Amino acid sequence: MLALIASGAVLYAAFFGAGPLPALGPAFNPATGAWTMAQDAIVASQTLHLAGLEQPAKVTLESDGTAHVVAQTDHDLFLATGYVHARFRLFQMDLLRRQGEGRLSEVVGKAALDSDRFELQLGLLRTAEAEWAALAPDNRSRQALTAYAKGVNDRIDEATAQHQLPAMFTLLGYQPKQWTPIDSLIVKGDMTQTLNFTDTPLVMAMLNKSLGPDLTDRWFPVLPPNQQSPYDVGPYQTAITGAPVAPIAQIPDAMAVAAADAYQRLASLPAGLVASGGASNNWAVAGAKSESGGSLMAGDPHLHLTLPAIWFQLSMDSPGYHVSGVSIPGTPVVLIGHNQHISWSLTDAQNQQTFYYGEQEDSSRPGEYFWKGAWQKYKTVTYDIPVFGGATDHLIVKLSVHGPVITERGQTTSVWWAGNIPSQDLDVLLGIDQADSYQAFREALRGWYSPTHNFVFADDLGNIGLISAGYYPQVARGTPWLPMPGTGEYDVIGTIPYDDIPQAFNPPDHIIWSANQRQVTSDYPYYIGTTSNFFDPGYRANEIHRVLGQQDRKFSAADMAALQTDTRDFLASQITPVLRDALSGGGLSKEEEQASLLLDRWDYKMDTDSAGATIWWNFWQSYLAETFDGYWKSREVKVARAELNDALSQDLEAWTLNDQNNPVFMYGGTKNTAVEVMRIAFHSMFTKLSKQLGPDPSTWTWGKVHQRELENLVVSGLNYGPKADGGDAYTPLAAPDFPSTHGPSWRMVVDWGAHTFQGIYPGGQSENPASQWYADRAATWWKGDYAPMLTADQAASSAGAKSWSLKP
Amino acid sequence: MRGLAAVLLAILVSIAAVLLGVWWAPFVIAAVIGIVWRRARVAIPIGVILGLAAWGVPLATAHLEFGLRPTAESLAAIMGFTQPAIPVVLTMAVGVLLGLTGAWLGSSARSLVGGQPATSR
Repeated sequence: MLALIASGAVLYAAFFGAGPLPALGPAFNPATGAWTMAQDAIVASQTLHLAGLEQPAKVTLESDGTAHVVAQTDHDLFLATGYVHARFRLFQMDLLRRQGEGRLSEVVGKAALDSDRFELQLGLLRTAEAEWAALAPDNRSRQALTAYAKGVNDRIDEATAQHQLPAMFTLLGYQPKQWTPIDSLIVKGDMTQTLNFTDTPLVMAMLNKSLGPDLTDRWFPVLPPNQQSPYDVGPYQTAITGAPVAPIAQIPDAMAVAAADAYQRLASLPAGLVASGGASNNWAVAGAKSESGGSLMAGDPHLHLTLPAIWFQLSMDSPGYHVSGVSIPGTPVVLIGHNQHISWSLTDAQNQQTFYYGEQEDSSRPGEYFWKGAWQKYKTVTYDIPVFGGATDHLIVKLSVHGPVITERGQTTSVWWAGNIPSQDLDVLLGIDQADSYQAFREALRGWYSPTHNFVFADDLGNIGLISAGYYPQVARGTPWLPMPGTGEYDVIGTIPYDDIPQAFNPPDHIIWSANQRQVTSDYPYYIGTTSNFFDPGYRANEIHRVLGQQDRKFSAADMAALQTDTRDFLASQITPVLRDALSGGGLSKEEEQASLLLDRWDYKMDTDSAGATIWWNFWQSYLAETFDGYWKSREVKVARAELNDALSQDLEAWTLNDQNNPVFMYGGTKNTAVEVMRIAFHSMFTKLSKQLGPDPSTWTWGKVHQRELENLVVSGLNYGPKADGGDAYTPLAAPDFPSTHGPSWRMVVDWGAHTFQGIYPGGQSENPASQWYADRAATWWKGDYAPMLTADQAASSAGAKSWSLKP
Repeated sequence: MRGLAAVLLAILVSIAAVLLGVWWAPFVIAAVIGIVWRRARVAIPIGVILGLAAWGVPLATAHLEFGLRPTAESLAAIMGFTQPAIPVVLTMAVGVLLGLTGAWLGSSARSLVGGQPATSR
């Protein structure tokens, strides 16, 4: 009996796992289990036979894993790209599609159920299916997606047959299903969501209810209160009517309840499903201002820094394509890069793409809502969500004309999101990959919808440009930064005409730049969003403009690289002199004097060895708290004040520089001005840091409190870091949070005069943690160095290169 | 001598089966040994050795061919440990337990059918 029990226990653990342990037999089988990642980590030159290939093709892998795909037909190019992506990133691709399709619970259990329910409610899958259905058989993106899926499936079949599936499949105990073109569209939808799906109108509704309409209106205005540097300064087209400028009224109680409920629900979702701020840089310098005489371009999109990274570097060559840069595994295109004539990069445009509508209902008409003078029936879609280790979850999604119903507490509220408009953005990217001039580039972007991006451009003829392409929803009337009535009068009625969206080509000062700042001046006639979370406070853009705008200076590629890793805090450069004046009135202890002196000598750079950086950053946080927290507490605001720091920093900056007697400083009937509050904040900062870092301010270096970390998508034990790093939320080298897990996800510098192309991303080409290409680029990236972006021919003759000969 | 040859053959078959993905083969083969071998105190150690070899030889082969240290470190990190030896020990333990329990179960079955104590002749 004892033998039977022991055998049963061992076999059960081996077949089914126990507690957190996976099924031990298949997972740790040395020949076919997780140990096979050792073999997978070894990449050798070889001949591979891929089903569906029309002609022989070739893949060259540089010593750092950068892939160069050369094919004799466009079809084979996309097929081979699919194979290469899957060879190195199959588990990441599967996670991305599962996230968007609401199928994470199927493999990780009920922990992911909220995410799955939300994704299916939001509708990435419905949108992707509609986009796929709209593609004609001869459409180039349909053909690209089909060939790409075939290549991915070739790898899935091969890996399954050879027991070479990534170890995480083995450890989680499932096998990837076949890849479909819709999966690729889902992956694109994931990116749209993480960049453009926002909860800001819900936040504004909660502020409106608690802080009050008056303060909300003043502190979170449509136009920025501080001095910014838009890149498109006009002149603009003739003013139009209908731009919503109505003052904020008190929102109804039922809407406030709905907003709070929806906000809480979105806030409880995993990070990345709701866009929160933005941070990316790109700029270009025309030949007239470059040392080489050709145009310069730099781009560093800032995203969640993960292992594996969101990017996979490759070049793609076929009769129709000659393009090099980075792609997102799961999609068949180069998203940021260059071809033989043009280069491009992108930052998020940040305009408002998410709107919330309170649906008017009547208890005598269940399942209906009132819209445009008549009662309409909600459409419903049902989903079954398989849950690992649990019962299948049944979900019913209600849809109004505005979009999915997001909450039925208080007033039923639905969400209109531009990412739900079926669009052919992939076709746009294929057009960019093939463009050979600004005209072709601009024409290709005409079809781009979402997420709206600032596409910077430079070409081999010395031209530069920037287009903030995408969908700019315009409402008929109302206050779109708040939830609006869903009765029809406030609906989205279209977008800004393409010729009127923010854009510039060969500007007279020979420079152009974007860093998520508002792209246009206050004269711009269309509504595109507010200061509250939609647009960046503008400090990175101001710093970039300060450097590039230097008269009579010519720039090199090295200067572009230096600016990408610039740690100078523009806000600090504005405020610190005012703070020093405020502190000069006396009342400081000896140690506080020492801290003040460190600020005097500081160069405004958030470097790891700088004590001034630590004092500045903590002072600013303290200053924000001393100014606003009293209001937050007394009015019981349910939104964390820190969540709104970007918008409040703009206010505080403007008041400190231009309006030190603003009533905001007189909270509680005090006679305070900005000067007194700065002194209080400085004392408060000093007390806090003394406790945290000791009594000597000269030892309070930034690197002691500020680190950066690259996070593995699944296992924290496989993270890189945390390690001390410079920068903060407002420096071109963006590094928000403690530790920071967000920042420059890819850096690229192009010099068309010298014909040099350089790039680097933090991470590595392989998702296999046992591979030498798992995180091999991280140290190079951390130092601010780059790797040359080679052509396929250059790569083939480079040291340590491997090649795969692909045969039909 | 015949017994030793049979044991060696069983071990080789077990290794081959594990290499082909049949990871539970050591349990079955050890169970057969437990049934066939008359003395449990011999059969059970044979099962342990068989399990160890069936899972250990492929692991050692993989180490010689590809180098397993980065993989062991990665698996340890996935499991929440810092010592790369832990997944190696765990892997070997699975092999040993499969062989041990297989042989033990086989011997027990034999004793039930034969009506003799498992540890006697």
